[in-house]
Amino acid sequence: MTPAAPAVAAEALSKSYRKWGRTRAFGTLKSALLGRSLAAALAPSEVVAALSDVSFTVARGETFGVVGPNGGGKSTLLKLVAGLFKPTSGRIAVDGKVSALIELGAGFHPEISGRENVVINGVMLGLTRKEIERKLPEIVAFSGLEDFIDEPVKTYSSGMYVRLGFAVAVHVDPDILVVDEVLAVGDEAFAHRCLDTIAEFSRRGKTIFFVSHSLVLVEELCDRVLYLQAGRIRALGDPRETLAKYRLDVAAGEGTRLATEHRKNEEILLRTAPDSGEAALRAGETSVQREKALFLEGVRGREAPGAASAVERASLHSPFEEKAPLPETSRRQETELPSEKPLEQKISPRRWGNRDVSITGCRLLDASGAERYAFRSGESLTVEIAVEPRFSIDDFVFGIGIFTPDDVCVHGSNTETDGFLPGRLDGPATVRVTLPRLDLGTGTYLLDVAVHSRRETPYDYWRGACRFQVDSPDRDAGLYRPERRWEFAGAVSVSAR
Amino acid sequence: MLKNLAGLWRHRALAHVLVARELKARYRGSVLGFFWSLLNPLLMLAVYAIVFAVIFTGRGPATSPYAIFLFSGLLPWTWLSSSLTDAAASLTTHGALLRKILFPAEVLPLVSVLAQGVHFVLALPVLLAGLVLGALGVFGPSIPLGWPLVQAVPLFVLEGIFVAGVGLLLAALTVHFRDVKDLLATVLSLWFFATPVLYTLSDIRQERVRALLLLNPAAPFFDGWHEALFYARWIEPSRWGLLVAIAVVSFFLGYALFDRLRDSYPEAV
Repeated sequence: MTPAAPAVAAEALSKSYRKWGRTRAFGTLKSALLGRSLAAALAPSEVVAALSDVSFTVARGETFGVVGPNGGGKSTLLKLVAGLFKPTSGRIAVDGKVSALIELGAGFHPEISGRENVVINGVMLGLTRKEIERKLPEIVAFSGLEDFIDEPVKTYSSGMYVRLGFAVAVHVDPDILVVDEVLAVGDEAFAHRCLDTIAEFSRRGKTIFFVSHSLVLVEELCDRVLYLQAGRIRALGDPRETLAKYRLDVAAGEGTRLATEHRKNEEILLRTAPDSGEAALRAGETSVQREKALFLEGVRGREAPGAASAVERASLHSPFEEKAPLPETSRRQETELPSEKPLEQKISPRRWGNRDVSITGCRLLDASGAERYAFRSGESLTVEIAVEPRFSIDDFVFGIGIFTPDDVCVHGSNTETDGFLPGRLDGPATVRVTLPRLDLGTGTYLLDVAVHSRRETPYDYWRGACRFQVDSPDRDAGLYRPERRWEFAGAVSVSAR
Repeated sequence: MLKNLAGLWRHRALAHVLVARELKARYRGSVLGFFWSLLNPLLMLAVYAIVFAVIFTGRGPATSPYAIFLFSGLLPWTWLSSSLTDAAASLTTHGALLRKILFPAEVLPLVSVLAQGVHFVLALPVLLAGLVLGALGVFGPSIPLGWPLVQAVPLFVLEGIFVAGVGLLLAALTVHFRDVKDLLATVLSLWFFATPVLYTLSDIRQERVRALLLLNPAAPFFDGWHEALFYARWIEPSRWGLLVAIAVVSFFLGYALFDRLRDSYPEAV
């Protein structure tokens, strides 16, 4: 064991799993009984690659993070490191005693006491009986279960179970500690103790293999990060860069999902034909009433600020409700659209207006002009609205509004507020509005698009026409993500992380 | 394989705590606890004594008193059958362990055999008491009692090795073919009747049937138990040689198969 030798070295590591069919298993039993070579009979019928051609080294004392989506191969890799699985091909060399916090308390027997289970678990993890007897008081104290240690484990809560398991695992004094999402269980205090213990391990020069879905934690703890996707290395190296890549991939995936959702959504909105007649009007009557009330309330609220209500707040900030109350004469129709699923958002896609001008499409574009529904904070976002008037018209305002899923208006503007006067709209047209810097915090947002008259008569109003995702690279909080500049003066010193 | 076998010795502490766990967990919550290991065979002896003294009478003098004859073979058989039942299921029931902790998997079937062996040993005082009572003529014609009883010790060791071999084989097969577990109950009852527990091989009149029964690798062990305990006769050295051969061959065959499939357990359980 030379000091320079890496703690873990993987070389072109691959692992595939066999899949067995029911008939196939019967066939193998038959052929095994008939004396054919059992090895041949057990040859895989169908192979699923969990890990392909993965190479990396983990230096002694390094904290090595592993991230990736479910099914990316993280658990398989851990089991290879822990020596539980053998690689299908390639090599993995692990130098030192591994203690895996994979499933804490694995092997606890429910019928016997916590104390006896600690002894058994310790022996399983490679301690001698003497060592474990010596460490027992320490382990019990660490778990904080002094009062319950002689009770059968079946009486423990799941949190107590995990605490005891963790206490044993860290007292095995491994050279390499494999941590898999243990921090997701247990209470806050326990999570802190886990982190403290992990930090202490790191200080003592132990190698830590850290798997987590908490990217923040990974970034904080790890020296290097491996990003596995579909069993392959997608990125490996500096935590910030690797995690940025992972976040981007997640956002892109989310974007694809949102794009699909958007197309469905748009279809529904477009299906609401311009002249679906009186029946539709009657069907949507209650909503019409409510919408009208909302408009009026909003306006009243403006005039008499004392009478503020939650409803008004939204409408007050809505850019399309600036002027006069709704003319009663306007031919309105409204349809409550069925939402695809009981969305977590309160806003369901809805559309109303007299359709003197119709919105025929709406999509989001990135700086390169490609359609996208997931953006990084600070990127450019363009809203493209396609419109078509019923007849030549000279009174029109185009507007957009960005909302959070719980209906907080983040931004609203229209051609009127931005200083444009309508000229003429004679036929199909495309309107684009670009936000060169989308300085929003991480989250899902909804976009309203609308065409209305200068006196706020809605021609076509799409509520929640697009749904998009924003990802902030930092750990900042809130909806707004301005540029920041910190300055320090006086007796204070800081350094960059 | 030999290296793994040597490594097994290092894990004797693990086997030790696991056997202790099995035994503790077994009687946890029952009032009499470990006393059951003694009481069960005692009750069993009482039942057989009554049944064969009152209901099934009229057996040959060779196996009389029948209750004691039966008992001296039945206890080792109970060990064999319960060990194999436990061992066959040992890997699959402890699947969570195999997937999470690195340790030699063969410990699990071996622990099944050892834990059941402890129950067997705890029942021996009852058997001894039965033999003493038998010698005093309580159950009818008195039986001899003497030093050949000590042959129980090597018989115990050899049967243990034999059963461990079969247990390893069954455990390995059960991982891949769960059907083994279900089949086992039937096979064990067939095996029971094919083994001289209820009878002696000399009872069998038809030569062909006797030859067939002699192919049963368990038969010499139970012959041995009867010889040592019931008849209090010394077992011939050639018989010992046979017993050692059967035990060793069984263990190595079972272990070889187990070792060969070793890597598949964490994934397949």
